[in-house]
Amino acid sequence: MSALLEVEGLTKRFAGLVAVKEVSFTLAAGEITGILGPNGAGKTTLFNLLTGFLPSDRGAVNFDGRSILKERPHQIVNRGLARTFQLCRPFHGLSVRENVEIGCLAPRARQEGDWRRQASVILDEVGLAEKADQPVEVLPYGDLRRLEFARALATRPKLLLLDEPFAGLGAGEIGGIVHLIRRLHDKEGLSILIIEHRLREFMQLVKRVIAMDFGEIIAVGAPAQIVRHPRVIESYIGKNEAELGIA
Amino acid sequence: MRKRDWLGAGALVALLAALPLFLENRYFTGVFTVCAIDGIWAASWDFFSGLSGRENFGHALFIGGGAYAAAFMNGKFGFNPWWSIPVGIVVPAALSLVIGFPTLRLRGPYFALAMLAAAAIMQQFAVIFWQYTGGTEGIYGMSRLIDSSLGNYYFVLATLVATVAVLKAIAASRWGRILRAIKGDEGACEAAGINTTFYKIASLALSAGFAGLGGVLFAHYEQAVTPDDLDVFLSISVIIMVYVGGIGSIWGAACGGILLNLLLELLRGLGEYRLWVFYIILMLVLFFMRGGLVAPFWQRLQGSRA
Amino acid sequence: MLTVLIYGAVTSAIFAMLAVGFTLIFGVARILNLAHGTFYALGAYSAFALTTILKVPLLPAAILSVAFVALFGIVMERVLVRPLRNSALAVLMITLAVALTMQQVLFLVFGSQSKNVPAFINHPVTIHGVSVDGQRLVALSIAIVLIASLWLFIHRTRVGSAILAISQDAEAAQYMGIPSNRIFSLVMGLSAALAGAAGVIAAPFLTVRPTMDLVPMITAFSVVIVGGLGSIPGSILAALIIGYSETIVAFYWNPQWTGAISLIAVLLTLVLRPSGLMGKPISL
Repeated sequence: MSALLEVEGLTKRFAGLVAVKEVSFTLAAGEITGILGPNGAGKTTLFNLLTGFLPSDRGAVNFDGRSILKERPHQIVNRGLARTFQLCRPFHGLSVRENVEIGCLAPRARQEGDWRRQASVILDEVGLAEKADQPVEVLPYGDLRRLEFARALATRPKLLLLDEPFAGLGAGEIGGIVHLIRRLHDKEGLSILIIEHRLREFMQLVKRVIAMDFGEIIAVGAPAQIVRHPRVIESYIGKNEAELGIA
Repeated sequence: MRKRDWLGAGALVALLAALPLFLENRYFTGVFTVCAIDGIWAASWDFFSGLSGRENFGHALFIGGGAYAAAFMNGKFGFNPWWSIPVGIVVPAALSLVIGFPTLRLRGPYFALAMLAAAAIMQQFAVIFWQYTGGTEGIYGMSRLIDSSLGNYYFVLATLVATVAVLKAIAASRWGRILRAIKGDEGACEAAGINTTFYKIASLALSAGFAGLGGVLFAHYEQAVTPDDLDVFLSISVIIMVYVGGIGSIWGAACGGILLNLLLELLRGLGEYRLWVFYIILMLVLFFMRGGLVAPFWQRLQGSRA
Repeated sequence: MLTVLIYGAVTSAIFAMLAVGFTLIFGVARILNLAHGTFYALGAYSAFALTTILKVPLLPAAILSVAFVALFGIVMERVLVRPLRNSALAVLMITLAVALTMQQVLFLVFGSQSKNVPAFINHPVTIHGVSVDGQRLVALSIAIVLIASLWLFIHRTRVGSAILAISQDAEAAQYMGIPSNRIFSLVMGLSAALAGAAGVIAAPFLTVRPTMDLVPMITAFSVVIVGGLGSIPGSILAALIIGYSETIVAFYWNPQWTGAISLIAVLLTLVLRPSGLMGKPISL
């Protein structure tokens, strides 16, 4: 399998604090991988570096065989690497459909054909078709999550980075999102990288977990191995043991 | 746009077109000409700042840029006054790129501050380099675009209608949708694969071009330019017009421009004190009617009938 | 050469006084105060009114003027700015309206003619054979003393550490029980006092007119952007750079071009290093 995403020695410092330190990993096309770590382990910073939202200090990022290190966020999206945000960030003042249409207006998506029809297809896919003409302000939180997905999918990504897609959701809604992620992966062959700080959701979704703490990768392996890895357990002690799902 | 909106717009334009015929008075024709020019300025401000949420505190830079371009072309170099229009559009659009490119890439107040500073510094230059700009006296002796004041009024009114129509059409297209998304969340807009910097800068240039066009019309109407055309008071007046009209609607902004200018004319007897009326209106709008007056009033009217 | 060195230092010191206050209130309360130049103008006019019209001796007049400007700043923040703080645009509008209104007030009360404000020292002072206007040296010393005191106040007192805490993370500071509204009033007062003091000490060698607020305000913005929004050391450094650049341009080339320095400095900064010399990095 050829690597879709190659990260080599990626490093970012904030005023003396190393937020991401010498992170290297590769992701094969069609793979679904999780990044695990307690809060403050540098997961979101890593996403921001990969998607061009923050400039990195050192390292290399190749996506689909090309370096995306110096590119701006919209350029990276148009290469096929889309993301969602940990806190839902809908466009206020626009309807649900209009929110998704913004993603369909990305140059990459517009090669796929009529943007208005594209938006309808995606709204169907994530289960928001009935609420398409509502203003985003009235959507419940679970639907805002789906809207995050829809907007990212609208850009026709090859790789989707999901930043804590289950945060703030109830058990029922989590099931729905897990189902959606699995379907995107199985049916459309989408590669997915998920950040979570709780392992429970990972166990059923991903084949491989990259565990991080203090900005570094501390372990890589199957979910079942990762829960027993001493450094992973150590990283959760005194923080949020319950969230690891092993305490 | 619904049918009722078209009717409302048509009635308003017809009223504006008919008023000078009934009043038959050069003074009133002049007042309405300036009203229509204010409408162009307000609509052009609203197109960029109202839609994208990036407040421009130096719109007078573009207005004055267009006016001075016209004054140099016609007043200094003696070109046919119609040449002022293309030049008066291109010069402010170019200025907007110089300011917009470094500042609009950034978040935060940089754009607002840089526009305010740029307009003020240009005004200083207009005074300091009096050998070329006529200093505080400005440049005078420009010819009119159309000699008949009624003919000139109709030309200005037609320009206002065209300006509002064009900007409104763009605002309703995907372009406007993207600007509103930028106002909502710029980072998320980038994450949706949109080159937000491009849209912001291009829209600012368009806004500047229309403001400059208004500046050209004003300069040829007054047959003179002065450093007041670059003044911070003009910039804030335009913002107050937009606020009164209702931010983000473009046509409401244009109405706000017309209304406010009429009000200033009615208060002419108060002399310098009439500016206080301006500030009082601003306070009222800021503290009590954030949505503005004209556009929300029209929507309310629609709502009560429906 | 020495002349440029001394005059540049005086100009820089005045800029620093204006910029430090402007950046402080932005850093702490996120208020972009477009009426900052008004504080400066009010300082100069109060000094004029007290000394020339009411015949108050200079030193008490200067202190009263600064106190008056500080009070004006506090009242403005409390009455006009605070209710609108949730909208950045509304704050910009209201502070700009205050600036324009005060211009009108000064114009109506004092007229458009420029006024003279008496100096602490009227005679020139000779340093190494260069004769310098005494008031400029007074202004320089007062500026240094005031900025240094502000620095000590922020870094050495409890209230000062509360100010720092809010400027670093307003939300966290609120959780820690720091009364942010009282701190905002205090900082606005300090910021106004500093700008007012700059007006009082610079007035004798300036033209005091109703429209005198605009240029210093723009210079203050420029200094703050070049130094990095919210950074006090950055403002001081940038004040030195812009102050000396303007002095050098005025001495060796043409005083008319000094106005361009600020704008060029701002645009260059935003292209090359948007966060300014010492500001926090700006993210998307």
